[in-house]
Amino acid sequence: VTRAWRGAAIAAVIAIVIIALTPYVWMLLTSFKGRLDALADRPVWMFDPTLEHYGDVLIDKKYLPLVWNSLFVAVGTTILSLAIGVPAAYVFARARFAGKEDLFFFFLTTRMAPAISVVVPMYLLFNKLGLLETRIVVVLAHSTFNLSLVVWMMRGFFAEIPPQMDEAAQLDGHTRAGAFVRVLLPLAAPGIAATAVLCFILSWNEFLYAFILASFESRTLTVGIPGLVTPHGTLWGQVAAVAVVATLPILLFTAVVQRHLVRGLTFGAVKG
Amino acid sequence: MAPSRSRRASALILDRGIGPLFVTPALVLLVLVVVGPFFYTIALSFTDLSYALPDRDGSFVGFDNYRRLVRSDPVFWDSFTTTLWFVVASVAIEMVLGLAAALILAGLLARGRFVLTLVLVPMMLAPVTVGLIGKLMLQGEFGMLTYYLRELGLMGQQTAMLGDPKLALAAVVLLDIWQWTPFVTLVMLAGILSLPRGPFEAAIMDGAGRLRILWDITLPLLRPIIALVLLLRSIDAFKEFDKVFILTGGGPGTATELLSIYTYRVNFRDWDLGYGAVCAFMVYLVVLVLCSVFYKAMSRRDRSEP
Repeated sequence: VTRAWRGAAIAAVIAIVIIALTPYVWMLLTSFKGRLDALADRPVWMFDPTLEHYGDVLIDKKYLPLVWNSLFVAVGTTILSLAIGVPAAYVFARARFAGKEDLFFFFLTTRMAPAISVVVPMYLLFNKLGLLETRIVVVLAHSTFNLSLVVWMMRGFFAEIPPQMDEAAQLDGHTRAGAFVRVLLPLAAPGIAATAVLCFILSWNEFLYAFILASFESRTLTVGIPGLVTPHGTLWGQVAAVAVVATLPILLFTAVVQRHLVRGLTFGAVKG
Repeated sequence: MAPSRSRRASALILDRGIGPLFVTPALVLLVLVVVGPFFYTIALSFTDLSYALPDRDGSFVGFDNYRRLVRSDPVFWDSFTTTLWFVVASVAIEMVLGLAAALILAGLLARGRFVLTLVLVPMMLAPVTVGLIGKLMLQGEFGMLTYYLRELGLMGQQTAMLGDPKLALAAVVLLDIWQWTPFVTLVMLAGILSLPRGPFEAAIMDGAGRLRILWDITLPLLRPIIALVLLLRSIDAFKEFDKVFILTGGGPGTATELLSIYTYRVNFRDWDLGYGAVCAFMVYLVVLVLCSVFYKAMSRRDRSEP
């Protein structure tokens, strides 16, 4: 009986992997296909690969600057969220004060806030302030979800560091702030790195805020790609090529932070 | 013993100066980017502001917009129903498939982790690219999936999923399942691997079969995690925008117009901002309710843990 179970389980796993990967692989293949292969009536799996779409779309259609915009926004929001969120997380992990859990819940609700509801007033407010269409606005908008991600994840990481470490550092003559910077931050470094990667991914992948708030020049990759889809005669090779550029680095990053994904995506509810 | 413990407890309370210093910047930023806009939305919802009609300059109109929502906007309620169908169908299927996959992977132990990395691909892709992949595969003329569905006789030779109102919603659900089942698997697997071994060993000693162990031990022990994943997925599915916006744009007609897409249309196509604020507020309200359920579920779990 056990061998039969095992055989069935392995067959199921193979099926799961095929289903999970085939659509992405199909897009990857499409990015290397000539026009005729991409538009064939019958799906083409073997073909002479070409790199022309990458050059066409990144250089000729000037999509390369969008990569820079995405990088700017993702790095910007990551730094901002960490700089502000890590100290706050430390306080949430160590301090005791009335209403702490409620305040913490407030951070959660901001992470959950529906983008479509937040972006409407944001658009009007930034419009009045004359800030609309800059990359800075998108950086700020992305901190709506990244700041609370940082606070939630880092609280967990700080909580895992024994409080004796704080005490020892203070006995060594550090002030509270000094102990935080010189002792706690280095101890939490792996957690900070994992959190940073997750922040980067969430911002890099985000669409709605960037779509509404950025201008044509400051638009990010995710906003730029759908622009290549037209009702008539979409060049799918080019769409696929930019999509690969937008996704492949993220998939590599994912492998790095996989251990921390569960915690990051469940607000620390499940440790993983 | 007692004095030293209380000394430790007091050492844990941060110096008076540092706590507020560390938390305030985060609070200020959140007030600026979330709380401010939230109250601005509520204020807007009582005005007639429109960027399309110059005579509607944002004067106070009382509850007019709310009255319009309740009495004379069937499209809003249609999109509300569509959203509910979308949430229920995709989340239910994701839960079942994701849990099944997690149970299978947990049985493979060490190799399960490696397989998991591959399976996670769909949920790490930008939702926009997920939408584009769906569009590429479901194209009427040369879509890969369209071709195989027709060949297998599962779909008529002239049928294109994205062009048919009923099938378009199914396509949207299908794509969401493809993207988010890995999330359910990931969290469930973490949950399964963290379960205590004792009950399982006892059951095996008693000679219980696999299905019996699954039904009587694994699932009851997993219940809190199942509830958490269910809530998190429901909240996210309710907010869904990117994929569907790219895949169908809400069409054909309004067949796949989710609440978020309708809200987008009212605000940024019709520029009917006063009424659009009411729609945005409704989405907010539902998510807030789901959130507080999530919070209650979580604090109950924390209390039950030693």
